[in-house]
Amino acid sequence: MLSSKHFFLLPALLTLVAIILFPLLFTVRVSFSSWDVFQSGLDFIGGSNYVRVFEDQRFWQSLQRLSLLSIISVSLQYTLGFALALAVWKQVRGGRLMRVLFLIPMMTTPVVMSVIWRTVFHESLGPVNDILSAFGVGPVPWLSSATGAFISVLIVEVWQWTPFMFLLLLAGLVSLPKEPYLAAAIDGAGTWRTFWQVTFPLMAPITIGALIIRLIEASKIMDTVYVLTSGGPGTATETSSYYIYIRGLRDFQIGYSAALSLVYLVIMIISLTIIAKLLLRMLVGKDE
Amino acid sequence: MAKIVLENLGHSYLADPKGEHDFALKPVNLTWQDGKTYALLGPSGCGKTTMLNIISGLVAPSHGRLLFDGKDVTNIPTSERNIAQVFQFPVIYSTKTVRQNLAFPLECRGVSPSRIRQRVAEVATLLDLDYALDMPARKLSADQKQLISLGRGLVREDVSAILLDEPLTVIDPQMKFMLRRKLREINRQTGVTMILVTHDQSEAMSFADEIVVMKDGLLQQSGTPEELFSRPQNDFVGYFIGSPPMNMINLDVRQGTLATDALSLTQPSPSESNALLYQLGIRPEHISLVDQTAENVGVGTIKKIEHLGVDGIVTLELAANVVIKAKTRKHTAMSVGTTMGINVCQDDALLYLDGRLAT
Repeated sequence: MLSSKHFFLLPALLTLVAIILFPLLFTVRVSFSSWDVFQSGLDFIGGSNYVRVFEDQRFWQSLQRLSLLSIISVSLQYTLGFALALAVWKQVRGGRLMRVLFLIPMMTTPVVMSVIWRTVFHESLGPVNDILSAFGVGPVPWLSSATGAFISVLIVEVWQWTPFMFLLLLAGLVSLPKEPYLAAAIDGAGTWRTFWQVTFPLMAPITIGALIIRLIEASKIMDTVYVLTSGGPGTATETSSYYIYIRGLRDFQIGYSAALSLVYLVIMIISLTIIAKLLLRMLVGKDE
Repeated sequence: MAKIVLENLGHSYLADPKGEHDFALKPVNLTWQDGKTYALLGPSGCGKTTMLNIISGLVAPSHGRLLFDGKDVTNIPTSERNIAQVFQFPVIYSTKTVRQNLAFPLECRGVSPSRIRQRVAEVATLLDLDYALDMPARKLSADQKQLISLGRGLVREDVSAILLDEPLTVIDPQMKFMLRRKLREINRQTGVTMILVTHDQSEAMSFADEIVVMKDGLLQQSGTPEELFSRPQNDFVGYFIGSPPMNMINLDVRQGTLATDALSLTQPSPSESNALLYQLGIRPEHISLVDQTAENVGVGTIKKIEHLGVDGIVTLELAANVVIKAKTRKHTAMSVGTTMGINVCQDDALLYLDGRLAT
């Protein structure tokens, strides 16, 4: 049964237990406890944390806000990234420099960039309102109004992650076969038809991959919100992960935030699976 | 439908070709008649795809002119050239059905919907794709997808020629045979000129009315399959056409005639020749192996027998260590090590001077 060859599985298994299994199971256990700043330790209070989650309007609102934010920002990133990739794809001269320039936002630390953006959007000192006032617009309450703050977070997200989309889509475009384009030219298809009938269908697998990766990443948005708006004004830009952070690491309601995390995790797994299936059906076809 | 003329047409991928070697396709003159089937045959990198791409307009030639029915089309873009092309890998519009795929070239040209319906129905019947018209094109097998690629060419009424760039490479062997026959059938029914690029000689021989053999960007010989087989213009064609290749036996000059110790076939020495190499070319199919008699032109010892079903290839060693191959159906009665008499008809032994057929 157990021979010496199974021994070689041990390092991998230990790593798995240490970094995935134990934290996950521990979180599950903690979520059934009332561990908080007054009373630390693992008691058992049944499912009352979960009942509280389902009654917590602030959490569900943050989840709605997060969905809206990630869907809008990822769509914009995809559209802009695809447009940029198409622009750089055929044009060779200076293309390499362009690619490096496009990648700078992605390579910088989100916290640092958020600090800079906060300065840029500052209502009285920031350059954006300064420039807008030259055209007689503003001052725009970028970070102090609910809509303004939401749009600001959106802009920073799009600015930071469009290059990632650009990179993935450009890699996809470069690897496309030549023959379909020759065939389309012979069939007499123009630029528009060629894009929708050849490029877009051929890019479907890459599109799905890029969208899913970005949706997963976007749903974890936390540092940008933390620095840029701290979830404010009020709760106008509070996302799920930021709310869980507030409950867990600011209020030290460890048990409750564990329950929040697990509910969030389950919702994410289910919704992203559904989205992936839907995208596949939309872009590739029903049967695959 | 059109007659296609290549007038001193050549192409170099370099901006400033220095010599012969810089040409992917050395200047060539060729005429392709309307409605016939042609094959461009040659090893990889011989320039056949370059020639095809020039005709379809995907590559602009650096030298010479291309004429369709006497009209210069050298600088006319692909879409206005009335050419259809089928590629090595089947190209389909994967999001469309078979019907939409076939209709696509007509839609791009703004043909009326009723006319499109009619043409698509006609072409689908021709290709036996009626039953699949409403299936998504991506669900079809490779050979059916290749038929769709072909159909997108046939559906257009203005097509002068259909260019086939190794279209059978990715098709299963049995389907390959069917598809090849289908291509010929379509050619006969529609009268559209077809130009097939291939490196498979049997494909070329069975498909084409006329074969153009190329090597290193240079036209070697152009003619019917029979001509290429019976009178190869040079040693390359003799080697490339036919399996096994033509036997080439070196000849020595002896008192005004050319002779070899291996066979008692002599050739008169061409008077005005300063060739360095004289060779006798004999097709393996033209060598008959018989019992030894005084009338034999030579004798040889069997070294190897390869079975190919009905035929067999017999390798023989003749006098002066000359090794030849013969194709015969009597190989089952032979055994390695025995000595056989060899008969060759004088007309089947061709003289080559420095690798070129003497005239």
